[in-house]
Amino acid sequence: MLGDAGKAQEIFQAIMHDAALRAAEGELPNDRLSMFRDARYRCLEVSQAGLQPEAIEMEEHAIDSNAPVQIAKLEPEQLAIWMSNAPDPQRTALALFYLDEFDHEELLALSELKTAEFANLVGNGRQEFQAWLNVTFPREQPFEEQA
Amino acid sequence: MKMPRLSRRQRMFVQCAPFNEERIRDRTMRAAVFRVRETKEFANQRAFDRAVAALIQTVPIPVGVTEWLSKGIYVAPPKRTWKQALQNPAVLASGIAVAVIAAIFVMKVVERMNEFPGETTARRLLTVASSVHSLMLDPVKTDADALGDYFFMKHRLPHYDVPPEFADLRTLGCRVFDDEEGQRVAQIWLVEKHLQFFFFPAERDPKNGAARHFSGWRYVDQYRWTGVVQERSGVCFMAALRGSEKDLAPYISKPKD
Repeated sequence: MLGDAGKAQEIFQAIMHDAALRAAEGELPNDRLSMFRDARYRCLEVSQAGLQPEAIEMEEHAIDSNAPVQIAKLEPEQLAIWMSNAPDPQRTALALFYLDEFDHEELLALSELKTAEFANLVGNGRQEFQAWLNVTFPREQPFEEQA
Repeated sequence: MKMPRLSRRQRMFVQCAPFNEERIRDRTMRAAVFRVRETKEFANQRAFDRAVAALIQTVPIPVGVTEWLSKGIYVAPPKRTWKQALQNPAVLASGIAVAVIAAIFVMKVVERMNEFPGETTARRLLTVASSVHSLMLDPVKTDADALGDYFFMKHRLPHYDVPPEFADLRTLGCRVFDDEEGQRVAQIWLVEKHLQFFFFPAERDPKNGAARHFSGWRYVDQYRWTGVVQERSGVCFMAALRGSEKDLAPYISKPKD
């Protein structure tokens, strides 16, 4: 969400601190998602305070069968930076979707989106990321094509 | 395999279906994914998603984070509401079983409350009433209340008097016979609604031979015949007809002197 491990850890610790205080007072939330929701709001708050990425029209490419190879070449930090620069709510949708922690209903509840919006954001995000991958790791052209 | 034709909703579900099968809990989404699972396009999408997720899994978790997480659970255990508990199939099945048992118990209690001494004989006589023809009786055309003296004088049957509620009705015939248990039973056939009256000795206590009393009118029915029974002075009177309780109710609800 933030693309900055330091800030993320600060937010995490703040959430845990709050949760520990609530636990001491016997006021634990019933909702399993409440901490994730809290984390999302805090991340959005922090990211709005810092430098804002320029809004640009992203190119979209169809998903390539070679994508797993391209992704394997990435460092996790590169992916984090790419995702954190996506505008919200796309950033939220992608972060939650790829966390592999939630089912569809939970994803909608956390992102506060409808299925159509969520599907659109994830689908577009996938194609935009593919376009970026194609630029970052261009497919090696066969010898005949180069000639 | 080519992408099959999908509805807008199905396309939407395919696009945002979690790449981990275990997380697809929605039936419609599962059906949409099932339709496209063999296609190249969907296979590429899945491979892409799984590669991204795998990359995310490689992100090292800072020591501080694992320390915090090991300190305890920060979400209260889910509370089961009454509604959730009732939707549990085991609870539902137990509830239905208890309800059925309770209903049977209530039925038995009501049945027991309506039972009265002499009910068995009354039921047997209802069968007699349904099978007897008026020609089998001695023709006697008079008011019903006059037959009490007739039974006493001719058959030495005391207290075989028609109750005031039915005393005004006209008779067609009557007879006295011994039933299966050797009890003296008197039967009267009436003009009105093919009504029949029966007199039979009240049930007796086998220990001391005293008649078992009960108060008021009691209904009894057998094979579409209904009777209303009253006990007086050790003799039971039953008015019977082919019909239901509501056909007899007007007679016994009439105020009499």
